[in-house]
Amino acid sequence: MTDDVRGSGGPPAGASDAPPVPGVSIAARAQPAVDQSFDGDSLYAVRATVAAHASEAGIQESRVRSVVLAVHELAANAVRHGAGQGRMRLWVTGDGIRCEMTDAGAPPAGANGDGDGQDTRSRDAASAGAARWPVEHGHGLWLVREIADQFSLESGPSGTVAVVSFHVGSRPVTS
Amino acid sequence: MTTAGADVQITDLAVDDHACLTFGEPEELFDLTAAFVRDGLAGGLKVVWVTEAGPQRATPELARRGVPVQSALADGQMTVAGCEDCLLPGQAFSAGEAMRWLSEQMAASQHDGFGGLRIAMDMNWALRPVSGVEELPEFEEGMAAALAGTTVSVLCQYDRERFDPVTLATVAPFHTRSVAAATYYADALLRICRQYAPPGIRVAGEIDYRREEPLALALAEAIRLDGNVTINLADLTFVDGPCARMILDAARGLAASRSVEVRCHPAIADTFALLGARDVAGVSLVSADDR
Repeated sequence: MTDDVRGSGGPPAGASDAPPVPGVSIAARAQPAVDQSFDGDSLYAVRATVAAHASEAGIQESRVRSVVLAVHELAANAVRHGAGQGRMRLWVTGDGIRCEMTDAGAPPAGANGDGDGQDTRSRDAASAGAARWPVEHGHGLWLVREIADQFSLESGPSGTVAVVSFHVGSRPVTS
Repeated sequence: MTTAGADVQITDLAVDDHACLTFGEPEELFDLTAAFVRDGLAGGLKVVWVTEAGPQRATPELARRGVPVQSALADGQMTVAGCEDCLLPGQAFSAGEAMRWLSEQMAASQHDGFGGLRIAMDMNWALRPVSGVEELPEFEEGMAAALAGTTVSVLCQYDRERFDPVTLATVAPFHTRSVAAATYYADALLRICRQYAPPGIRVAGEIDYRREEPLALALAEAIRLDGNVTINLADLTFVDGPCARMILDAARGLAASRSVEVRCHPAIADTFALLGARDVAGVSLVSADDR
């Protein structure tokens, strides 16, 4: 399933309208500017990377921290509620950045949630894998939706793929 | 909680302590000094601050931490002076001259009818190539002898990042106490410590859910103190959803008669606002740029 938020901005230049499908990544269409794996010990590196590329892409400084927060929450979800590690790929698009966060596998049986009280089942992400990720008000995915221009989340037996885009706004960006 | 090498809180000094304060950043120095000055003024003592920052900067730093510094300066209960005027006459240091200055301060406070004297002494001057700096241990030893049994306490302030371990180890034994901010967590990315003036906690760096535990401990201790609580996030560059929620939940849990001030930069304030901080009674978001 997909969960487009504020989808009126349209797809970034060069991207198709097709939602991402696990295993058939948008990477096929362009080389990502960043391709890095992460786990609980390297979330700060995810944040630093996203901050640098968001600034470089022209996203206003006042918004860069929110962009970092949204991507961090996706990565943290993969660590806490998914396989414990994941992969981030980031593209600088014509009008901002797009991040694809891949949670490479289903968690071990019985690893749903980690005792932090946040493993609320979500109606919005009711398919098998993404149900692990909380969409409670004020929590991870809720924050992502508030901040992102576009957001999709897909889960299958092989894991979860979240794709999130942030636009510069109406300001044209030359690439 | 640890207070790295410290054996007493800044608020628990004795009247004749010769204390060695080590600090890691200016915020910490000004915070601990403000508490030392505040408690001295409240106790009716004469307070002298010898600082490299100079009165121009030092005075507003104390004022914005709630110390009634203007009135204390006006009525002579407090003096702020530069190191050159007190310890380095003629740009050279001499333990004998410095002890003479200390004796004059002690006599003057007694003459003026104060019940005691508190001196906060910035030691950063000793990092410069000052003539006579090798007499520093002699000065520290002299002070230790001069203060015992009096109502005069001295707080020597050493920057632990800049002073070499040998110097710190040499002067440490002459002090009756070592003082540092109570620290709940510290690594290369994050530091969580108590704030003394105004009371609360200070979080600097980046914090996420992996450090919820020390944050919870720091908040719990801050809440146990009386009065309003300040959460100083002025040097925080990232807070994730779980930690921001924890701070807001702690604020919500306070009695209606107490308020929580969250001091932070606009980008951090955005995260709190997103989570509804502006609708929580008793919580105010204050821009850290309003200095």
